[in-house]
Amino acid sequence: MRQPRLSPGPEEGRDQDLEGLLVRVARGDHAAFETVYDALSAPVFGLIKKVLRDPSQSEEVAQEVLLEVWRTASRFDAAKGGAMSWAMTIAHRRAVDRVRSETSAAQREQKVAPDPVSGPDDVADAVEANLESQRARRCLDGLTEVQRESVKLAYYGGYSYPQVAKLLGVALGTVKTRIRDGLIRMRDCMEVSW
Amino acid sequence: MRFQRHDLHTLTGSYALDALEGEELGEFERHLDRCPSCLSEVRGLRETAARLAMATAERPPAAMREQVLALAERTRQLPPLTGETPARRAVSRRARRVWIPRFSVAVAALSVAAAVVFGVNQNSAQDQLNSIRSQLTSAEAHNHALAAVLAASDAHLVSSGTSHGGAVTAIVSPHEGKLVVVTSGLPALPASKVYELWLLGPSVARPSGLLGGAQNGHTDPVVAAGLAAGYKLGVTVEPAGGTLRPTTAPIVDMSL
Repeated sequence: MRQPRLSPGPEEGRDQDLEGLLVRVARGDHAAFETVYDALSAPVFGLIKKVLRDPSQSEEVAQEVLLEVWRTASRFDAAKGGAMSWAMTIAHRRAVDRVRSETSAAQREQKVAPDPVSGPDDVADAVEANLESQRARRCLDGLTEVQRESVKLAYYGGYSYPQVAKLLGVALGTVKTRIRDGLIRMRDCMEVSW
Repeated sequence: MRFQRHDLHTLTGSYALDALEGEELGEFERHLDRCPSCLSEVRGLRETAARLAMATAERPPAAMREQVLALAERTRQLPPLTGETPARRAVSRRARRVWIPRFSVAVAALSVAAAVVFGVNQNSAQDQLNSIRSQLTSAEAHNHALAAVLAASDAHLVSSGTSHGGAVTAIVSPHEGKLVVVTSGLPALPASKVYELWLLGPSVARPSGLLGGAQNGHTDPVVAAGLAAGYKLGVTVEPAGGTLRPTTAPIVDMSL
């Protein structure tokens, strides 16, 4: 069995590979899907677990997301964004949907005390050194406090922006603009070309 | 309008991080359709968020690989979307409307049944079923599974209102192990959500199909298979594409 690729090299090259693979997956190519699974399963599972915390629930949602990648590969449009970002968008939305469904919200509150402002550091052990993610962390450190916490609570915490505003004790409008400004700064810092 | 254009534009970041909910989400998505610069910004911010995701990568349990690959083996893929321009979309909508009337006799009859049966006694339910059958035989039954359930000698009709409004009607054939589900008057959902059907057994909730978008308040018939004694029909609201297990409380839960 092939090991998941956690250090696949430069972002752009990987995205192009993935795009070509998704085209083959859309035609029902199972071998291509295996390679896509190996490239996506760790980022998908990691992000979902970051949001949901509960490992078994995260595994279930990650399965749904990867199956969704298989099912909807024909809908991926490289003109609208990269392959990795397409998959991560599906993963994050699913995780957030799960958080916001009532039952799981109750479960989550019971299982874990809120730990909203923990950074990505607590998963560092599980992540193989990866230039791109090191860069993401460095860029995150370059944001103002409120920008950084707003982005992290919304993305890693799965909180809506009104919830973020409440957690940080700042006005709604402030959070809206801080999230946007923070992301734009991240985008420029990481030289994202979209 | 509740939001100024300026306010809406600042929501690009929150939208890219899935931090918008409810009415505001719908409002921003409508705005995106008319605001190319917002759309372009959202795409860039989504790419940025994906880089943040890479920083949390974590290898899932090894067993998950075989499970997902096995699930893919028996999951049909969506066809590609054809036609990008609004003009072409309009044509395809028209084409669909021409094609649908084959089903329309059954759909119309079942919808009437849903309206009539809800709160009416079983005898008239049987009459409705007979009436649906007689109309269906004269229609071209190109969907064999649908026709087989409706024609089954043990077919019976069950209907119930939902907690969200509207009604769900099922034609059930225990002998065939199948049921046909139609609905009327269910509230429309945002594009990111779907109504999912479940066969609820004593210890299982089996995903049993997704309801398509409604036409004139009615959804097209969905045939669900794998019915066993004691099973109930449930309907939940799930993320688009459906889920493997229900994640929300059923809006209807009916004995078959």
